[in-house]
Amino acid sequence: MYIDLNIPVPVVSTGTVVASKKNKGKTSEKNQQAQGQQIAVTFTPAQLTAIESRIDTLEHLGYTVLAFNQTAQKKIDAKTHVNTVDPLLQKLRKRQNITYLKRLTILLDEDSEKGFGLTTGNLPLVAPYDLIALLPTTAATFSQACLSYTVPSNLTAHIISLPLTLPRLPFNLKHTLVRTAIKNGAVFEISYAGALGGDNDPAIGNAGGSDGGAGAKRNWWAAAREVVRVTKGVGIIVTSAVTNIADLRAPRDVGNLLSMLDLAQNRAHDASTKTAQSLILRAQTRKTYRAVFSEPKVVIP
Amino acid sequence: MVRFKNRWLLVEFLPCPTASSSVLDTSSRDGPEITSKHIWSALKQSVIANFGDTGWGAMSSSLTIKYYSPTTNVCIIRVARDQHCIAWAGVTLMTSVEGRRFIPNVVHLSGTIKQAQMAAITHNRIVVARYRANAKRPTSYHDSYDNFLQSCTEEIEALQD
Repeated sequence: MYIDLNIPVPVVSTGTVVASKKNKGKTSEKNQQAQGQQIAVTFTPAQLTAIESRIDTLEHLGYTVLAFNQTAQKKIDAKTHVNTVDPLLQKLRKRQNITYLKRLTILLDEDSEKGFGLTTGNLPLVAPYDLIALLPTTAATFSQACLSYTVPSNLTAHIISLPLTLPRLPFNLKHTLVRTAIKNGAVFEISYAGALGGDNDPAIGNAGGSDGGAGAKRNWWAAAREVVRVTKGVGIIVTSAVTNIADLRAPRDVGNLLSMLDLAQNRAHDASTKTAQSLILRAQTRKTYRAVFSEPKVVIP
Repeated sequence: MVRFKNRWLLVEFLPCPTASSSVLDTSSRDGPEITSKHIWSALKQSVIANFGDTGWGAMSSSLTIKYYSPTTNVCIIRVARDQHCIAWAGVTLMTSVEGRRFIPNVVHLSGTIKQAQMAAITHNRIVVARYRANAKRPTSYHDSYDNFLQSCTEEIEALQD
């Protein structure tokens, strides 16, 4: 069972915003409902067929669990955040053997050092997603992400993805930070899009400039190797994150690619199977109290 | 003993789906025919670009493209066992052959040619079964696929080390 946890959802044009600035007088519940219905997310038929053919290819290559990823820049806000993954999932054809998941990635840069919206106040925004990921680009956000946001709670970000194609990984991966994150249950993500030199997710491209072509590939090899070294091979998942269907690769091919990074073969294979599977189960504990796995049943003797 | 060991890679090149078609479409091929020589040179470029002269030098003496079928896009590659990781990574990082984009998918890896042949035949049968399932014909219907399977099987069996 092969798992791919990063399929970028295309950036959509939101439909007409039904302006209702008269919300001030209404109750808070109605306010929220009116806000949720204001912005309609529409996907063009071309985008839908592109996504369908990408899922066809993934199914052919052997992946069975897919997660659709929505990237949010800098911070999430109750006023501006639109959930684009839910409407997309409703429009896709139901396939028998494939499971769809929803994922939100928050791109962190210097502006987000003060706070980026992953608070209990924004819980209803974040609750529909199965997985939350953080993409830090500065040292401070990286330490914040590793230390405070991996602690088990309703808002845990279980995936920490690193921009592997930036010219120089802007921060040192400190061993202690990484170890705490892994102990808390977080997982580091390596996306193989960088190795193929494909077009980058425009969201990440804005964050710091990845020079496409040969430079990006070299940085990918350097950075990915560094991640493998610091995590000692434990707690790594590999994902696609490619924008072009032509850059998708079969799971065992990707496993072999990772073993070229000095990652042991069994761990490279685990990266797309066992580690990813346990991550999904762990992410479900966001809904339980203090990350307890099962619900205790009261048995009255 | 000091026997020379090989690895046989069974690679399927999926023609790159455009936005409107999917991988399962058997649309007509446009452009020049691809031969095993084209695949060899594409693999060479990929390995030199990613692993440099050392990588290519290590595996070039033992690399052979044993079989390629343009109809099924199935290819059998033989490499020495010590360098098969480099060759496999080179195949994965390959993006196009003769200007046309493909997705390389390594279906099977084995140590003997016999297992590679069996895997190739099984793979052809699975692909034909998929086409038939899509066409929704009853299973006992004899169509051109039977002759096709027969000829492919003969070609594959004719391979020698």
